[in-house]
Amino acid sequence: MTKRLIATLAFATLALTAAVRAEDKPAKVTVGYLNLVNAQLVTKHLGLLAKEMPGVDIKYVKIGGGGDMLRAIAGNDVDFGGLGNPPTAIGATRALPIKGILVINMLDYVESMVVRADKNITSLRDLKGKTVAAPFGSTTHYLLLQALKDEGVDPASMKILDLAPSDIAAAWLRGDIDAAWLWEPNLGKAVKNGGKILVTSGEMAKRGYPTWDIGVVMNAFAEKYPSYVDRFIKAECEGIEFWLKNPEKTAEIIAEELSLPIEDAERMMKGTGMIPCSQQLTEEYLGTSAKKGKFVDTLVATADFLVKQERLPKLLPRADFEAFIQPAYLEKATGR
Amino acid sequence: MSVEASPMAIPVSADRTRRGSLRLRLPKVSRSVLLSTLTVAVLLAGWAIVTERGWANELFLPKPQAVWAAFVKTMTKGYQGATLLQHLGASLYRILTAFTLACLIGIPLGVLMGVSRNARALLNPLIEFYRPLPPLGLYTLLVMWLGIGESSKLSLLFLAGLPGIVISTIQAVTSVDPVYVRAAQSLGATRRHLLFHVYLPAAGPLILAGMRISLGFTYTVLVAAEIVAASAGIGWMIWDAAKFLLSDVVIMGLIVLGLTGVVLDLMMRAIAKLLMPWA
Repeated sequence: MTKRLIATLAFATLALTAAVRAEDKPAKVTVGYLNLVNAQLVTKHLGLLAKEMPGVDIKYVKIGGGGDMLRAIAGNDVDFGGLGNPPTAIGATRALPIKGILVINMLDYVESMVVRADKNITSLRDLKGKTVAAPFGSTTHYLLLQALKDEGVDPASMKILDLAPSDIAAAWLRGDIDAAWLWEPNLGKAVKNGGKILVTSGEMAKRGYPTWDIGVVMNAFAEKYPSYVDRFIKAECEGIEFWLKNPEKTAEIIAEELSLPIEDAERMMKGTGMIPCSQQLTEEYLGTSAKKGKFVDTLVATADFLVKQERLPKLLPRADFEAFIQPAYLEKATGR
Repeated sequence: MSVEASPMAIPVSADRTRRGSLRLRLPKVSRSVLLSTLTVAVLLAGWAIVTERGWANELFLPKPQAVWAAFVKTMTKGYQGATLLQHLGASLYRILTAFTLACLIGIPLGVLMGVSRNARALLNPLIEFYRPLPPLGLYTLLVMWLGIGESSKLSLLFLAGLPGIVISTIQAVTSVDPVYVRAAQSLGATRRHLLFHVYLPAAGPLILAGMRISLGFTYTVLVAAEIVAASAGIGWMIWDAAKFLLSDVVIMGLIVLGLTGVVLDLMMRAIAKLLMPWA
């Protein structure tokens, strides 16, 4: 009985492997995208991915933040995803089967810390005794702690709450929180309702703490369908080109995708740094396969910070973060 | 749906018969303890073997030693600013407060609905409507109404616990043998006498069973309640650790949560034995 079962199983496995070998086209591609303002919305809206992958069922899944994206990746629910540098550092340290292949965006004032205007908060020191919210594990939580540390303010002197961006907007309207570090489109809701910007993520970048989002692919998908990784990159690059060349039309798309007034979409777009694919292979960003760029430095610094925060067990050697960044697909797509 | 057909009655009667035999034949107790221990031992051994052999990805299933280490570390050094006991205290405070409120409101409500047909008809639609609502859907609204503080968390836990108690109390009161009531009435019992000397003593064991089920429901929504803007609590710890893929802390938290649930249940049964020796 057992023998027969094993034989059947072995046969089934063989048949499956054979089927996979013959099939070099995925039936379905799932793209997890973050709820942010960037060119991924353009790519999605214009259906550029579908154009690159004819006959493939393309599914877009909106994911609220880095923590949820990590869970989606760990659960193998997406083929492509996007992660900010803190979740990326977490994923790389915990050996998630993903590679970083593309710069999705650099974060400027599209992510900012908003404080209640009537609470007389002019510096981070004034936050003592106040209630501050940020989505834990995200870029903004990382910058909040980093900024407090630089100013010498003890995080324990205030109440720091873990809230998803949409919950921050709701709690802000109710008056439950005094300050929050979050991203658009929910940032704008807080600013419009008695908020003012105290620090932007762009300012933190100038102080040496850049934050960004990187496009990732599941290793298993990349091994099985390498050409489809190229196609994904091509579609996203087209989206970025469109964003850079047609700001007005892009604003219309963003406004429609996120149900925002067009002026808001334009403002948010200016707060996001979109990097043309040809520039992504420079020292400033991914670098090349031969010499990886500054993204590795940011990852090492972020991981080091998270280890000190006891959010990560240990700091991996630099080589592991270098191995995570894979410019090879982008090099191929841009013809270098 | 009629209240009498509620599925909640099923585990109750089974439990009663089991407890009945428990007192009479002692050797059976040690045997069932032995069997229970065996289950736990097999589970632990399986876990150890699977992880030692490397059959499971450590990201998803860490070794028992790693979970133990996480337990020791959280007990002594704490997790994100609070020790395990502080996290546990925060959660138990929420659970017990909400559960006590649910009992204080649910039992009288259930007795009322059980005794009076009119009260049942008036209140049943409310209970039957919100009982199957998923807690997270309800929670969004509670957060908007009550804010991100303790009151929305307590309300969610309370609402999760309430229907179980109400429904089993109705069930318990309606299944009281009418002969008892008539006998008491023929001896000149007032309504007050009926309530305290007939209905409550006769319905007590079933009400208690409902309370135990309801405590279980309260537990199931703990993580959901602590997702929004908590900074302490076992549920929050599990949720936060999952964000950072710290599966050892997640599993440790789940084990601690499960064990406290078992202990609370045992305590309720012990109290019941003291209060209702006839059950």
